[in-house]
Amino acid sequence: MPNALGNLIRKEAKDMLRDPKILLSMILMPLLMFPIMGAAISLSTSTVKEATRSVAMAIMKIDEGTISNQLVSSFKALNISLIEVKPSPIEEAIQNLRQTNITTLIIIPKGFTENITSGLKGELRIYSILRSISLSEGAKASVVNVPISIYERTLVRQAIAQAFPDRDPENVLDPIDVKNFVIFKGKLLNVSPQLLQGIFMSQSFGFPMVIMLLLISAMQIAATSISIEKEEKTLETLLTLPIGRISILAGKLAGSTIVAAAGAAASLIGINFYVASIFSFMPSTSIDLAEVGLHLSPLAYLLLGLTMFVAIISALALAICIAVYSENVREAQSLVSPLSLLVMLPSMILMFADIEALPVSLQTVLYLIPYTHVVLASKAAFMENYAVMLRSISYITMFTILILYVAARIFMTEKVVTARFSWRRKR
Amino acid sequence: MEKAIEVINLHKYFGKVKALNGLSFTVDPGEIYGLIGPNGAGKTTALRILATLIRPTSGSARIFGLDVEREANKVRRIIGYLPEEAGAYRNLSGTEYLEFIASFYFRNKREIKDAVYEAEEISGLGERLRDKIKTYSKGMIRRLLVARTLMIKPKLAILDEPTSGIDIIHAYHIRRVIKNYAKDYKVTVLLSSHNMFEVEFLCTRIAFINKGRILVEGSPEEIKTRYGARDLEEAFMEVARSA
Repeated sequence: MPNALGNLIRKEAKDMLRDPKILLSMILMPLLMFPIMGAAISLSTSTVKEATRSVAMAIMKIDEGTISNQLVSSFKALNISLIEVKPSPIEEAIQNLRQTNITTLIIIPKGFTENITSGLKGELRIYSILRSISLSEGAKASVVNVPISIYERTLVRQAIAQAFPDRDPENVLDPIDVKNFVIFKGKLLNVSPQLLQGIFMSQSFGFPMVIMLLLISAMQIAATSISIEKEEKTLETLLTLPIGRISILAGKLAGSTIVAAAGAAASLIGINFYVASIFSFMPSTSIDLAEVGLHLSPLAYLLLGLTMFVAIISALALAICIAVYSENVREAQSLVSPLSLLVMLPSMILMFADIEALPVSLQTVLYLIPYTHVVLASKAAFMENYAVMLRSISYITMFTILILYVAARIFMTEKVVTARFSWRRKR
Repeated sequence: MEKAIEVINLHKYFGKVKALNGLSFTVDPGEIYGLIGPNGAGKTTALRILATLIRPTSGSARIFGLDVEREANKVRRIIGYLPEEAGAYRNLSGTEYLEFIASFYFRNKREIKDAVYEAEEISGLGERLRDKIKTYSKGMIRRLLVARTLMIKPKLAILDEPTSGIDIIHAYHIRRVIKNYAKDYKVTVLLSSHNMFEVEFLCTRIAFINKGRILVEGSPEEIKTRYGARDLEEAFMEVARSA
């Protein structure tokens, strides 16, 4: 009956998506967890920023020279809350400051101005009072360095102006002006390699991460879909319905794909919020990804989609083959968990390294793992290296056919009913 | 006349364990045939082979002339199987579950609706069919499963402990439904049960089975007379002693 497969897929998706455990762990958790994590990081970052903005400092000016006075003025010009304290022994000064909210004490010792004007180094003593172990306390302690380096640069500029009255001090300080050009995908780009490296980093982390999430959740869903039939004792009834065993397998694969896709979409939305939250404080780059060639062509999209499709089918079939040997969902999850390594290992390694740069033995191991080729295909997609993509698709497809054949064999025999995994050693 | 069930010299091994040891019996169309015997006698194994779930190691089994191994797909179209330990999809409502099962047997919505209506009558679950199955008691699930087995009006209903877990009132109702179905729709029934009263009430013929083979076969009356027993329980004990 042609509608039978449709009925089976609808049932699979409905039954799993209504399961509170699956709904919570696969869809609601990533949808809520990532934004909450992002919001928490964003909140702590803004707390740090706020803390550094409201930092109050004290200055003890033992030296009364002009440079000491200029230093104090430069602090005030930067709107830094600065309280001048009378010279006193350091222990007494710190004791007094601990009663207040002041976190930094700057001491300008005697001879500061004289040393600098005579070409020696002027000494500043800075005492930071840390009231707790936190990022914001550390940040408060380092705030003082900013006005000091600004004033230091002013002093250097003044010295240069005196020594070379006909030169621009900025040119003396930075005599070389570097202009960056990058040739990428045969195109000349007027951007710095550092900027491109940042974008490459986000791509090389992003795609393997998404692939990892998608494949691992697909495996867990497929394992659940078959083991729940065993746990709830519905499998025997299903297998005696007038529908081919291959259709039952296809229904399970398609139903799991729908649920895994919903889970992956939830993860992506969640991660998007997470990334948006944690990078909200960073200055945005005005670089146009399409302009620098970091976009996917329609053919690359198509091939990448095909790669993901066959990879997901193989992951689902692989998980089903193994979960058949379980008697309940928990056992299935345990049996399938080691499979995650096949996905995590290439994803994690290729996040940081190019496969060609790895030792040959590791390269061989990685090339044998089918899920390596998904990551390779995703990288090749940006380089429009279609030959690599086609090679990856061929390898994953061959692996998928093999696994589907094994899954079909299991479903065609009584193993699907009788198979049990025994932890006990055979005697 | 074509037999509803024809089992010839069936053997089944699970590793070194011999579950069936030359089991043979036949059932005529419209009969209610009962397999009784102690735990591990091979009753469920025999039913699972006939339901196309597992394959015999040797021997043959045919249902209305169809070989359960070679023509399994055709066999599945004419049977309804109720396993001893069975569940239903917890996150579907009773009605959704019945519609799901019916959709494999009927082509149009009218037929599916009629089958679901039939199942409502058999189960007696009424409005509760709209609730999710996870809210059902064990007995309610069993009633739902009996209903889904019979609503499709199979040529052969294979029922493993049909009233297990059902209270007295509903078990009474289910037994009557099975009996009437067999009569009204000429459904052949093969059942296994530990409930001797149930077997005596329902079955036209029974077989005592132990260690994978039949020890005694006949109508309940014949068997009781043969062993001079007041009821089947006594006869069963007698057979077990002399085996």
